[in-house]
Amino acid sequence: MPRLDILLNCLGRSGVGLITICLVSGGYILGQNAQSKEDQARSPLTYEQVVTPFVRQNCAACHNEKLKTAGLDLTSYHDVPSVLRDRDRWEKVIRRVRAGEMPPKGMPQPKPEAIAGVTDWIEQQFAEADRSATPDPGRLTAHRLNRAEYNNTVRDLLSINFKPAADFPADDSGYGFDNIGDVLSVSPVLMEKYLNAATAIANRAIPGDALPRPTRMRFSPEHSPNDDGMELENRFEFPAEGEYDIKVAVNGRKEPFRLHLLLDGKEIKTADVLIEKDKPRSYEIRLHIPYGEHLLSSTMEPRTPSPQEVATANRLKLEEEADFRKAVAKHPEDAKQIALQRAVSNPPTFIDAFEVHGPYNALRPPLPESYRRIFVCGHPPGEHNSACSRVDLAHFAQLAYRRPVTPDEVSRLASLVGSAQNDGMTFEQAMRVGLEAILVSPNFLFRIEHDPKPDDPAAVHRVNDYELASRLSYFLWSSMPDEELLDSAAAGHLHDESVLSAQVKRMLQDPKSDALVANFFGQWLELRNLDSMRPDPDDFPAFNAQLRSAMYTESKLFVQSIVREDHNVFDLLNGKYTFLNERLAKFYGIPGVVGNQFRRVDLDGTQRSGILTQASILTVTSYPNRTSPVLRGKWILENVLNAPPPPPPPGVGSIDAKGGPLAGTMRQQMEKHRANPACATCHVRMDPLGFALENYNAVGQWRTHDAGQPIDASGSLPDGRSFRGSAELKTLLAADKEAFAECLTEKLMIYALGRGLEGYDRPALKGIVKELSSNDYRFSTLISGIVNSVPFQMGRGDGNTQMTTSQPTVKTINTGGGK
Amino acid sequence: MILTRRHVSRRTLLRGLGAAVALPVLDAMTPALGAAEAVSRKIAPNRMVFVYVPNGIDMRNWTPAAEGRAFQLPKILSSLSPVQDDILVLSGLMDHGGEALGDGPGDHARASASFLTGVHPKKTAGSDISVGISVDQLAAQKIGAVTRLPSLELGCEDGHLAGNCDSGYACAYVNSISWRSATVPNPPEVNPRAVFERLFGNDENAGDPSARVRNARARQSILDLVADDTHRLQSGLGQTDRRKLDEYFTAIREVERQVEMMEKQIESNSVALPAMAKPDGVPIEFAAHARLMFDLLAIALQTDTTRISTFMLAREGSNRSYREIGISEGHHGLSHHRNDPALMDKVAAINRHHMDQFAYFVDKLKKTTDGEGTLLDSTTILYGSGISDGNRHNHDNLPVLLAGGSRNFKTGRHVRYSRSEPVSNLYLSILDAAGVPADHFGDSQNRLELLSDLA
Repeated sequence: MPRLDILLNCLGRSGVGLITICLVSGGYILGQNAQSKEDQARSPLTYEQVVTPFVRQNCAACHNEKLKTAGLDLTSYHDVPSVLRDRDRWEKVIRRVRAGEMPPKGMPQPKPEAIAGVTDWIEQQFAEADRSATPDPGRLTAHRLNRAEYNNTVRDLLSINFKPAADFPADDSGYGFDNIGDVLSVSPVLMEKYLNAATAIANRAIPGDALPRPTRMRFSPEHSPNDDGMELENRFEFPAEGEYDIKVAVNGRKEPFRLHLLLDGKEIKTADVLIEKDKPRSYEIRLHIPYGEHLLSSTMEPRTPSPQEVATANRLKLEEEADFRKAVAKHPEDAKQIALQRAVSNPPTFIDAFEVHGPYNALRPPLPESYRRIFVCGHPPGEHNSACSRVDLAHFAQLAYRRPVTPDEVSRLASLVGSAQNDGMTFEQAMRVGLEAILVSPNFLFRIEHDPKPDDPAAVHRVNDYELASRLSYFLWSSMPDEELLDSAAAGHLHDESVLSAQVKRMLQDPKSDALVANFFGQWLELRNLDSMRPDPDDFPAFNAQLRSAMYTESKLFVQSIVREDHNVFDLLNGKYTFLNERLAKFYGIPGVVGNQFRRVDLDGTQRSGILTQASILTVTSYPNRTSPVLRGKWILENVLNAPPPPPPPGVGSIDAKGGPLAGTMRQQMEKHRANPACATCHVRMDPLGFALENYNAVGQWRTHDAGQPIDASGSLPDGRSFRGSAELKTLLAADKEAFAECLTEKLMIYALGRGLEGYDRPALKGIVKELSSNDYRFSTLISGIVNSVPFQMGRGDGNTQMTTSQPTVKTINTGGGK
Repeated sequence: MILTRRHVSRRTLLRGLGAAVALPVLDAMTPALGAAEAVSRKIAPNRMVFVYVPNGIDMRNWTPAAEGRAFQLPKILSSLSPVQDDILVLSGLMDHGGEALGDGPGDHARASASFLTGVHPKKTAGSDISVGISVDQLAAQKIGAVTRLPSLELGCEDGHLAGNCDSGYACAYVNSISWRSATVPNPPEVNPRAVFERLFGNDENAGDPSARVRNARARQSILDLVADDTHRLQSGLGQTDRRKLDEYFTAIREVERQVEMMEKQIESNSVALPAMAKPDGVPIEFAAHARLMFDLLAIALQTDTTRISTFMLAREGSNRSYREIGISEGHHGLSHHRNDPALMDKVAAINRHHMDQFAYFVDKLKKTTDGEGTLLDSTTILYGSGISDGNRHNHDNLPVLLAGGSRNFKTGRHVRYSRSEPVSNLYLSILDAAGVPADHFGDSQNRLELLSDLA
């Protein structure tokens, strides 16, 4: 790991001084690990002696100036500097040559010694370059809070939890994550939403004198065709104590049911859902309900219909049948679609929606926690002393801006509040205006770091403790620093290694670190896409909203256990345990799990282990109607092996027909396609990985047959190692420790920094991976490695320091475009 | 004068701020109340709407066989029959910017990014997205300032959740067809409730004009304060951060203009009132969602809250399935139909389903009076896709039609152009018709001919 401590000793105590001079003399620090024996014996060989002959003999047949296969002309490099300029590309070349993937099968293969000779030599040149390079921590662009960060920050700032960012436009992502400072932009629409959100937040934080007026709240989740629809629940926030009309609506076919409506688990209404023609079926009750959040739930069970209902049911059925026949007679060519339409538009009875109207005859709600947090001056409502506004505003702005505020900033806010009062507002109303101003200020909406020399890229410095606190809290919590972090920053202690590591430990144990699971793992593993997957309800009748949510919960709890229990990161690939409830356990065919609660389940003796064989991942890497070995293989290459396949060359297109129907087993189809040599080079890497998972269908359920034939889940990697089934594949993947460790580290660094990695980040990356490997691959080592790294703790002025920048890792997903 | 009164009250409010605070939007405020002016002269303003559909079209069932006036509507267009005299089917146009031009795959991202910009987007997944200003935004720069919202961006699908979007293209390229500039996308709003609130406000003091004015004034002061914050911040920042804050500042100015407009409307008692109830949220079924959005768009145009809009019925590459019309496969999957007629028929059914919702909108505008004509006469609507055949991903012979705008275009015809005529040529003509002519746009060569002459 880079020795930041040594570097920082140069700095003295100030922590923000410029250290250009230190770096010139201390450049070695970052590359200290590479300062090993074999490197010190300077290699006398030249590029022409080592690389040129190897390329000529093994690569130039395809990768020459004319053919440029895969866009690569290896004959265009003549010396080490030219290789260093394209270092990312060469790192890939080395990886693929070492893995035996290149030259491809069927071509003459170089001897292992020759491979080792040339790849080691090139890496030595890299190590040497890293050693002599001036360390560059890179810099973080002013970072607009994204939706998740905004919600969490407001929650932690004011103890208000209503997700004000839900209506904001989606954040664009880059490098696979939506917290990339360069990509996050501000449009006028977003600005409008910021203003409206600020008003809504201020109104909640400082409630007005007026009692809450009756409003309508509605909850109607998306119903998927296979939901049994027999239960519905939702938490509603009741803005004041008072009377509320509570309504539950039932929809779908006319079937006899008995319906129960419960508030906080206590039955408040029972009703029979009758078979009657053209009767809207909703059931309403008016209740006195106390202030705050309450759980509304409803369940249904079948009952015996009355003779009259049976007669109505029969009549309705006949009418419907007649309508259907008439429609088919009119458009016989569309008979199938009409039948499907009929089934879709006439689903089994289900509980559709809750509606809450109120409050009527409301009582004054208690003052919210936010009120106490804002009016720190300590006067009761209505008796505020206007002189307090400075104290209150300074206190709040400091939290919101995540740094100390200047007297001038406070004065300007106080004048704003004063003028609003002069304009006829009460003190509390005017304080709302002040709050709004703080919440739309760039100081709140952006995380901005101040460089002593903002336009000098050579002016490398350590970020100050407040900036460090924000870097930490947005990394681990996707939220603002809490009081403890800010206190530590104020005392100037946060950057002390022992203080920092204690804080990191505390933060990971805090429930707020769930944000790391939702936002980092959710995007890295593409779990977030599970919500938008629409498996074909006819092909996969078991798939419904509850199963989808159980799939997500399984992966979330699993990843959470890796984080909280500080597992070896390879457990992600091969952990022999998971978290199941009854529904998911039954779906997996794992006995002995009863009830809706998730619990830890041992997976020994099952067909599953690790994330790859969790239904969530298997579903997001499938089409609505079938599996895709290509998508699954690509997912593994991108997210496990860090070796994303290049997109298909122009004019070649996709060999997988994007979800179109296929004849024969998936595997047979794919193998037929792979006969095309233009496709084979990449697909020979992707497809076998996906074949290993063919025993899991498009929603991740175990199967032994596809299209009536037994599944063949065997394959071999390009280097010749072969496997049968997912378990053996996972063992092979886990054996390639460096690839996975580097992949995870790189992704987590991108997420932690909120920027793509550049060539100058490589020493830090390698250092963290090395540290990880010497610490039994503990997850906490990964986190502390990143937190202690140069790019995380330091910054510099703006501008380019190096000519080369790396290409972003390109990653595509299946729900959207792509050939 | 309203203007004077407002200025005085605002300055009074600002005096408390001490420092000489710039009032950056005043110069942008020169056009007086656009709506009132139009109403008083009984001349409906020119409006423009661009509706996008993804994944290409089954062209067998799109292109009319005959040219000129006497053409039969093919299956996909059949729901337009009540308004056939108001449409202009334009065959043979091309989106050159969607071509690979050496960038490899990614036709979906390129199609949506280039369709309204006429520019080939830069292939990148990261920090340096770049395409061009879109035609709607070019128009909005010139005529957007007279309405409270310069333009309204709508969609029926939310942005991507995770991962990058199409073969190495950033998600921004498929999430937006509207671009404020080469680097700033204008993302669509998908929630009808949020659209309603943008149009009509979410003001709890709706019944109390003096409280509303007071709030609007407070909002102005807030914006002034944070604009000032921005300038103070910028002086100590590097160039990239300064650029980020410029973006923020531009957004502040735009919103400030809107607030002033709103304030004037409140004072002059000319606030647009919604003719519909506030929607709950996003309807589950596509048709219901699309119609609700079209309803909102019609009201936005009718109330002159905006004159310019873009609407993505779905995102390029969308794999939505339309089970309500009996199609359970995803749209994008089907569009790779490999010329299988059964699959192509399903693509056509989806195309038609999209068109049905559009026809509902066109019909609605035709039934709404506007000045001396109908809202449809004053609104030029383009409906189309940046991909022709979803299987081949070709960007020539695009499915494009105009509806409305009959006071500028000779509608009720099918016109065929040479196969490589850039669709940007059409945009020049649309900009002319809107009274905001441009010399060139994107990859335009000339104005598109045959739009208003001959029969």
